[in-house]
Amino acid sequence: MMRSLFLALTVAVIAMAVFGSATEGFRVFTTEGARRYAVEQAPHQLPAVTLEDQDGRSFSLDSLQGRVVLIEFIYTRCPTVCSALGDVFARLARALPGTVLLSISFDIEHDGRAELRRYADSHGADGDEWRVARPVHGQDLGPLLDGAGVVVIADGWGGYQHNAAVHLLDRHGRLVRILDFDPLSVLIDEVTPWLKS
Amino acid sequence: MVTHPDLVPTLGARRAVIAYLAVFGAVLLLMMALGLLMRLNQGALVTLPPEIFYQSMTVHGTGMVGVASIGGAAVLWYFLGRYVRLTTWVFVLNLLTFTVGAAMILFADFVGGFAAAWTFLFPLPAKAGGQWEQWAAMVHLGGLLLIGTGFLLFHLDTARAILGRYGSLTRALGWPSLFGNDPEPPPPTIVASTMVLIVNTMGLVFGASVLVISLINLVVPQFTIDALIAKNMIYFFGHVFINATIYMAVIVVYELLPEYTGRPWKPNRPFLAAWTLSTVLVMVAYPHHLLMDFGMPHWLLILGQIVSYVSGLPILVVTAFGALMIVYRSGLRWDLAAGLLFIGVFGWAAGVVPAIIDATIIVNSVMHNTLWVPGHFHTYLLLGQVAMVLGFVAWTGKTRASQLFNALAFWIFVAGGIGLTQSFLYAGRLGIPRRFAEYLPEWIGQARIGAFSAALVVIGTVMLVGPLFIRLNRAMAVR
Amino acid sequence: MAEILNLIPSFRRIAMGAGLFLVLAAPSLREVLEQDMTRHMLIQLPFLVLAGWLLIPAAAASCRFVVIWDRFGIAGILTANLAAAYWMLPRSLDNAIALPVFEIAKFISLPLLVGVPLGCCWPRMPMLGKGFVMANVVSMLGIAGWLYLAAPVRVCVFYLSDQQEAVGRLLLCLAGAISLAVLFCAFVGFRPSAARTA
Repeated sequence: MMRSLFLALTVAVIAMAVFGSATEGFRVFTTEGARRYAVEQAPHQLPAVTLEDQDGRSFSLDSLQGRVVLIEFIYTRCPTVCSALGDVFARLARALPGTVLLSISFDIEHDGRAELRRYADSHGADGDEWRVARPVHGQDLGPLLDGAGVVVIADGWGGYQHNAAVHLLDRHGRLVRILDFDPLSVLIDEVTPWLKS
Repeated sequence: MVTHPDLVPTLGARRAVIAYLAVFGAVLLLMMALGLLMRLNQGALVTLPPEIFYQSMTVHGTGMVGVASIGGAAVLWYFLGRYVRLTTWVFVLNLLTFTVGAAMILFADFVGGFAAAWTFLFPLPAKAGGQWEQWAAMVHLGGLLLIGTGFLLFHLDTARAILGRYGSLTRALGWPSLFGNDPEPPPPTIVASTMVLIVNTMGLVFGASVLVISLINLVVPQFTIDALIAKNMIYFFGHVFINATIYMAVIVVYELLPEYTGRPWKPNRPFLAAWTLSTVLVMVAYPHHLLMDFGMPHWLLILGQIVSYVSGLPILVVTAFGALMIVYRSGLRWDLAAGLLFIGVFGWAAGVVPAIIDATIIVNSVMHNTLWVPGHFHTYLLLGQVAMVLGFVAWTGKTRASQLFNALAFWIFVAGGIGLTQSFLYAGRLGIPRRFAEYLPEWIGQARIGAFSAALVVIGTVMLVGPLFIRLNRAMAVR
Repeated sequence: MAEILNLIPSFRRIAMGAGLFLVLAAPSLREVLEQDMTRHMLIQLPFLVLAGWLLIPAAAASCRFVVIWDRFGIAGILTANLAAAYWMLPRSLDNAIALPVFEIAKFISLPLLVGVPLGCCWPRMPMLGKGFVMANVVSMLGIAGWLYLAAPVRVCVFYLSDQQEAVGRLLLCLAGAISLAVLFCAFVGFRPSAARTA
């Protein structure tokens, strides 16, 4: 009986350890949570890919260093989350002057300059503080999404589902936070300190 | 198949039962004191801060359900042990989890300030409005979960023992005699214990689910549940669990009246049919608690009304009728225990009448938030369930107290019980709301009558369970 | 179910278990099953467990070493429960798709740490323990089903939100089905052998 009890306790202890490490100490239970936690613990650079915006200007992600950048990943046909993200960015542009807002499309098959332009116009992106862009080279897309930890899957209706969030790059171009876009007030409170530093 | 008791409880088993009754008596008195305090406050005889009133109400409601179950479990286990081999450590474990859980609830409510009533309706535990901290809600719900786990094990052990002897629940419910020609039905104790284990296991599984959901909601508020589904689950669990306390306690009537009269209580077809019927009905009658929720599907409410009319009735009728048949011209020598058992059956029967009135949709829509409701459940719990368990307490003691003392204790308890329940019912008829800490001046009169009666109940109960504590040491040492 | 399986001769059981495992490991079937959350969670995972159950000979349950170290099967059932719970974490499910290491771990741990202990220890567990485990499984399935339905976001990055809802509903149905099955067993009568020995 003692041996059985001992064995059961051992199993429980090992399981606790395994669950603890699988959930980063019972902090995260989903891949999305793990991605946010990892970025908080160890900020890293995103790959310096070349993007082109709604006005056809090419620029490298590197060139934005020195500014605080907020990135969202979208596709312009998206009827749901991306348009919510668009609204969030429109309000952020007013609430947080001085930040660079970047909406990056991952649907490079479909989203050409005209589509980016239309998305920019409908949400009020000025092309200066807020740019709507896409990777110039198709092979850059994968590394960029991997670097941010974004997974895009087809929804079976011609569209996509993806882990939607706001990605915060500090002045050194490091991805330091991945934040929910709702509620907006919390998002603004999270970003504000990075603007001061 | 066995009809007569053939197993003798071991010393450990008897001690465990005495321990149950001691906890039953102690917690019962504590909860009664809180009830008295609330009634005194409503009668403007003492002044409690409102938050203390609602904390007391939460503890009183939760604690009384728990203590009724502990008393019922003691009765069930003691008499079921005459027929099947039960596991003592599981029985003791249940008492331990209950004690720890009760301590957690007391701490969470009086120190942490949790006061969301026994119903802990979603999303109230998480939305305290500053009345209590999150941890208090978690400790309270955790305590409930712990108590539920103990009772789940308790019922599973009875299931194991009953199935071990009878093979299937159908046989334990006496179906071969009910639908066939088996001349030897299982004894009433087996039938009742089987019914209770079926409904309580179902109730506990739902209760545990909604408790865990509420706990998760406390930790991660984004995970919400439809409030009406939560309410359905909570009331399914609560309704089943509190009804089961009566069905556990009534076993003492089936076992002791035959002992007093020398006439066996042999289950006949109506008896078996009644218990089988109530097994199902008690589980589908719960929507009568949700008659005021306009979001509920109408058919469910109508079903609730119809089923409520018949759910408790079959068992009540066969029990009351059977008890009368056994006692009639039996030359029964009345003592304290026999008197309490008889009052128990009477109180149960009397409580069902206002219950059925309240389960009527038209009445319910004006009566449900009045004191009518506490009136009906105090009738069949205080004068019914608790009286039966107190009868068992008196019987285990064969108290040496004088006849006069016993008679005094009995009549003080009964008079107080009738006064308290009638004050509630009368107040309900006048439309005085329940769950109000402060009263309008014109409501105070009935509250004072209630407070006076509640004081009598407390005195009577002290006199009834007092001897148990006096001989507790001796019982633990010698028996 | 358990009794029927126990009647099959050992070698044939083992062959069945190994065969089932190999079929599940076939790349094309793997891809088909993992494409959809429902198929992944409610077909592939349970069948991996079943493969493990089949793989051990019936005699293993009463072998001396096992009985000495785990008298009532508690440690075994605990292992099975916790290992199964691990693969219920949304993150683990994602990892199994994204990283081959986790996929291999899944294919090893589910048969070995869930199926084998279940087959080994479930028959030895006293009825009290069985009932407790069943009651927990039912409420946990119910809670997990609710969690998947109530989650405000997608919990797995590799699966669509409507698949997540389908899993939630199916888990609730499964909880209901298990409750009905247990009730049915208890009502219609326990296996005579169990009734006699209990």
